[in-house]
Amino acid sequence: MGHSDQVVRRRARCLDMYQRRFSNVSQPVSLGMHSSSHQQQDGDAAMQGAHMESPVRYTPYAISPFHRRGSFLKQDQTHVNMEREQKPQRRVEVNRPHGTLGSWFKITIPFGIKYDEKWLLNLIQNKCSVSFIPVEFHYEKMNATFYVENASIASALKNVSGKIWDEDNEKISIFVCPDGIPHSVQRELKPEKVEQVKLAVNQQQALDIQKLPIYSDFMTCDTKMAPNPRKGVAASLHAHEENIPKVMSSGEMDKWKGIEPGEKCVDRSPVCTTFLNNSSNINSILELFPKLLCLDGQQSPGPTLCGLEAHKRLPTCKGSFFGSEMLKNLVLQFLQQYYLIYDSGDRRGLLGAYHNEACFSLSISFNHGDSALSILFKYFKDNRNIKMLQDPYLRGQLLKHTKRDIVDFLSALPKTQHDLSSILVDMWYQTEWMLCFSVNGVFKEVEGQSQGSVLAFTRTFITTPGSSSSLCILNDELFLRGTSHQRTQSALFTLVPTPFSSSMPAFSQEQKKMVKGFSAQSGMNFQCSQKCLHNNQQDYSRAVPVLAPPKVCVPMTESGDLAGAEKPKPNSQS
Amino acid sequence: MRKFRSNWSQGDRERYQERSDSYRERAGTSYLSRERWTHQEVVTSPLPKPVATSSLMASSVDFKTYVDQACRAAEEFVNIYYETMDKRRRALTRLYLDKATLIWNGNVVSGLDALNNFFDALPSSEFQVNMLDCQPVHEQATQSQTTVLVVTSGTVKFDGNKQHYFNQNFLLTAQSTPNNTVWKIASDCFRFQDWAST
Repeated sequence: MGHSDQVVRRRARCLDMYQRRFSNVSQPVSLGMHSSSHQQQDGDAAMQGAHMESPVRYTPYAISPFHRRGSFLKQDQTHVNMEREQKPQRRVEVNRPHGTLGSWFKITIPFGIKYDEKWLLNLIQNKCSVSFIPVEFHYEKMNATFYVENASIASALKNVSGKIWDEDNEKISIFVCPDGIPHSVQRELKPEKVEQVKLAVNQQQALDIQKLPIYSDFMTCDTKMAPNPRKGVAASLHAHEENIPKVMSSGEMDKWKGIEPGEKCVDRSPVCTTFLNNSSNINSILELFPKLLCLDGQQSPGPTLCGLEAHKRLPTCKGSFFGSEMLKNLVLQFLQQYYLIYDSGDRRGLLGAYHNEACFSLSISFNHGDSALSILFKYFKDNRNIKMLQDPYLRGQLLKHTKRDIVDFLSALPKTQHDLSSILVDMWYQTEWMLCFSVNGVFKEVEGQSQGSVLAFTRTFITTPGSSSSLCILNDELFLRGTSHQRTQSALFTLVPTPFSSSMPAFSQEQKKMVKGFSAQSGMNFQCSQKCLHNNQQDYSRAVPVLAPPKVCVPMTESGDLAGAEKPKPNSQS
Repeated sequence: MRKFRSNWSQGDRERYQERSDSYRERAGTSYLSRERWTHQEVVTSPLPKPVATSSLMASSVDFKTYVDQACRAAEEFVNIYYETMDKRRRALTRLYLDKATLIWNGNVVSGLDALNNFFDALPSSEFQVNMLDCQPVHEQATQSQTTVLVVTSGTVKFDGNKQHYFNQNFLLTAQSTPNNTVWKIASDCFRFQDWAST
């Protein structure tokens, strides 16, 4: 007795399962799909009957064997075919103009095949803060799936995930994808348009993918519908004009309000870097998105093609930035005082400008042609370029610490004349306790071998309010380079290039080794290194302590190795 | 996702888990070997630090340690920053603090929203960094918030524009978690060396 009851109940459950699996369209959907669904059910009944007589035992909670899945798929296709054969009047009435794309979200309940549709939807609705209309509820493989048309609804549904339980007291999860269009809505659109959108989105050309909040759950979305996030996203876009610019500009996602960006999923999308190479694609995209301003962060094709200003341009370069008039006065006054002492011939007066534990370092760059090389050479031994310098000991040595050491070092540099009338200042950080700014300008060396040479500098100061409304320097970084532009030289200076000797003496083996090391460390090529060392014979000995430890001479990879490494590694592309 | 039994989702989850695990593992153990950052995924924790922060906060720690730490942070940061700028531009603002400011050739950009817009609008770039210098910032200025000054120089080619020499400096600030240190940009100042002739 009991046993046969069980069998009956099991059979009823099985029938239920079959009905669910082989019927793609649910009954209670309130969007005018009744007639089609009824037809669907009738059509399936015959097939269902056939399957029921199959001797194979159905196990609803196990993963279906392959052949069953195969038949399910076939059934799906049959269903689609049947839909197409229906009269054209039979269509989904959705509350929007024809031929547009709604903001559709696909809601997936994993293993939802276990659950009766009405029961499940009721359960979700009871927990969900907003009422929703499920579109095209169906079972796909082991999941239950339906669509909703609104981002906030999708978000509310997502919040229900994990807060509902089934009769076995297992948590039910809900996953949301900004993905795909329900079949019924898709058929509303011209097939070519949908294809074009999919094609374009496929090529990651229409959207700034990483800006869209794609859920972390997205990776679980049914791959049959959309193997990757790109395909379905366009369908989620609202085609109405007022929304398009919002999609394009980052940070303005009103449409997505309330939805958390899924950073994990965003990580999985590779950055789009492809350009459109097909003008017809561009046109079809732009037809759909008339206010498209940029294509996935890349320069768009010319405005003549799109009719839009789509070029990316660099912002105009501007002059000094001080933040406020008060700060401007403060900084300029400081600089005037500083360079007055700096250029005076006695730099010991700078002791008052530095904090006891201040830091200073110097770096140089050889970018601007041969003429700067010999001028800059004297600074080379103090050049602190940690990209090239791996030895922690030297890195430490080259950083001057304490005001005493700093001023001693500065005092040893050639006497200078700075041109304050041509300086450019960027005040880039300010708090109650610190004022940070960078000074760009030129100066002339007024003594020494390179007398009259003009160098360009960028000096970065981090200062703190000191006594008597002055600034106290905590960090000071001086970057030197040659000047190659006439404009950067003020009327006060005249550039006197240092001629290189045309004949080179024979280098000894040891000298050759040093040149090689010098070349490696400075990044200059061999010829330049030779020239430098030759022209500065008397400074050669000064350069030696820097080059002597063989480890320093080892060509460095970009990722670098600690100086403790035993073997030199091959130089990677820098 | 915990009780997923079907293969495809588990596989996805495992792959992701593996990626994030290997990042943590690399971060924790390979700081010294300085592996290149090769992951395609977006970075929110650019510079993990294996050393417990408490040791740095102690006043007995000497200056050398600060210098070392600053250098390591600067190196790793610069690698990640310019690669992200060139190849994963949309992820760039994750390296900035919410209230960070950028002064780009005299143009002021303040806050993450504005930074996002700014980097979006900037043409694609190809950076070549030739010089890198850094200093630990004195705590008097930072109220004991570990901060590093990073100065870089090199060349950059923006799409559609000629190549420029540039100078850039950053203020990097450390945000410490129990497992690592995350460095973020508090401030960024960028200039073409020939800005006047552009």
